[in-house]
Amino acid sequence: MIANQYYFSLLNSLQDSSSLNLYQNFFRDILSLSSHRIEMTDPLECALDLTRRLPPQNTEENLSQLMNLVPSIQTDLFNLVDQPLKEGMCPSKGKKYLLSVYNRDGDSYRSPWSNEYNPPLNDCILPSLKIRKLEVAANDAFDTYREMYYEGGVSSAYFWDETDGFSGAVLFKKVGDGVRKMKGAWDSIHVFKANERGRMAHYKLTSTVMLYTITGKPELGHMNLSGSMTRQFEADYSFDEPLAHITNIGRMVEDIELKMRNLLQEVYFGKTRDIVNDLRSINSLVETRRQEEIQRELVGKLMERDIKK
Amino acid sequence: MESFAELPVEEKFKIVSGFLLESPPGEVNEVYNDLKVLMGDEEEFERGIKPALQQHNNEQYIVATLPEKNNKVIVSKYGQIGEIEDDLYLDPRSQQTFKFEHVRHTVTDVQPYPVDSAIEPLRAAIDTAIIEYVTDHYPNGVSSVYSTDDNSTLSITIVDNKYNPHNLWNGRWRSTWVISPESNELKGTIKVNVHYFEDGNVQLNASKEIEITASPNSEEPADKAKAYAKSISNAEDEFQGSLNESYIDLSENTFKGLRRALPLTRHKLDWDKILNYKIGQELANKAT
Repeated sequence: MIANQYYFSLLNSLQDSSSLNLYQNFFRDILSLSSHRIEMTDPLECALDLTRRLPPQNTEENLSQLMNLVPSIQTDLFNLVDQPLKEGMCPSKGKKYLLSVYNRDGDSYRSPWSNEYNPPLNDCILPSLKIRKLEVAANDAFDTYREMYYEGGVSSAYFWDETDGFSGAVLFKKVGDGVRKMKGAWDSIHVFKANERGRMAHYKLTSTVMLYTITGKPELGHMNLSGSMTRQFEADYSFDEPLAHITNIGRMVEDIELKMRNLLQEVYFGKTRDIVNDLRSINSLVETRRQEEIQRELVGKLMERDIKK
Repeated sequence: MESFAELPVEEKFKIVSGFLLESPPGEVNEVYNDLKVLMGDEEEFERGIKPALQQHNNEQYIVATLPEKNNKVIVSKYGQIGEIEDDLYLDPRSQQTFKFEHVRHTVTDVQPYPVDSAIEPLRAAIDTAIIEYVTDHYPNGVSSVYSTDDNSTLSITIVDNKYNPHNLWNGRWRSTWVISPESNELKGTIKVNVHYFEDGNVQLNASKEIEITASPNSEEPADKAKAYAKSISNAEDEFQGSLNESYIDLSENTFKGLRRALPLTRHKLDWDKILNYKIGQELANKAT
């Protein structure tokens, strides 16, 4: 339980308005710091920097080794480094749900469908009745959303109480069917905080998508294109009744998932591919340069002619 | 969460060595500095990590620049001479040895190393043909060609790095071709790594093992070298073409199959309806 409570307080402090910007720019800052050769000395910063560099193909193994290596920061690492989501089965509702740091207590995970921990716990923290009601509605709504966008997969939403509102995590996982030796998996992790201010609510959303794609065939060999991307988003919306929170959060999640899908498409299948073709050129570089030279000469001659006219 | 006891120092070095070997292209210094902080004792770290750093540089085909002729040479196991801890490497092209400092990549102690073996004319011819090939297909390519002591094989190493840390991406292409000049058989390994780290951590790891046989027109070193370079060029084109196709396949099939851009209706969801639908359903259930 300590880990969860710790996480929630950490999340609160991170989402505190003064530290939010810090958090938003944290990775960019440390990455640019280290690229300017200004050495970092804080073990947690260094460990997080490593998680941004080591192959995302081995995220889980790398994290467990990092935790072994530096026991003093293992709790921070465990809670701050996103891990691929795992699937569990809710014993009382017979429905799959997602296991994550957001519904974990020790070795047990709370099912969003039954509100029960599995394996069962005697002394556990549950959302208040009011927040649980919202959580139930959110799970139903995002289950529909999941079917519309993912056409399969598993979704779960976990909410918890805050002094001035509530927080939650909306999770989706879809594993590809692996046809034609192409494997893929998509994990979405949306963590939000909703602050109620009268009839308005302020929402802060941090969204991470982990995308794994793997393929292999004789002429290709082996190809693994994987990783994760994170984006943040804030907005104010009105709510005239509690359920309006679900509408607001739903729209935000829908918008950011569309943006992130476009971003992933561009980075994975555009940017990294361009880099490969910058490393080696199938076309003859000598020939390309010759063509460019001819073109330059032609343009030069045309301009000369224009000037003479 | 289970709690972890402090590991014995050998175990720690096993972990940090593994991490160092996984450094993305062009980022080994950053990984090295992170690991140094995590290990605490600087001196102990620098001593203990050295074998891994040397292995990393050998495996990643780090490029050394010889001062005098500004000759670029690849650091790899093929060029290593003497004992491993000597850090001595051969530049077969200029026939010199040099000492390589694995942290700062500096070159010292350059010594002449005349080569007088029966296979040297073929090695030199392959070197020339590969330089020509690399110039034609690798914008930042560096190559080195080695012969083994018993003259049984020749090894070609090619590396192309493109580092762009300001735009948060780096890439490396490595090719290795081991030739048996008797049978004209070539065994190749291609490895491509790309790291993109703006707003995340995305990495491409692609690799292929290849076995091909070249058909030179004659036993003349220049003819054999040309045939090898041509075979390598074709094999690498095929791999790269297939990699580009796989990008399209993964994007068009795997990626699209995971999540739709929009639902089948081609409209975003009507969230009020979704909630009301569920409530309506519940009311209907209660009514029956």
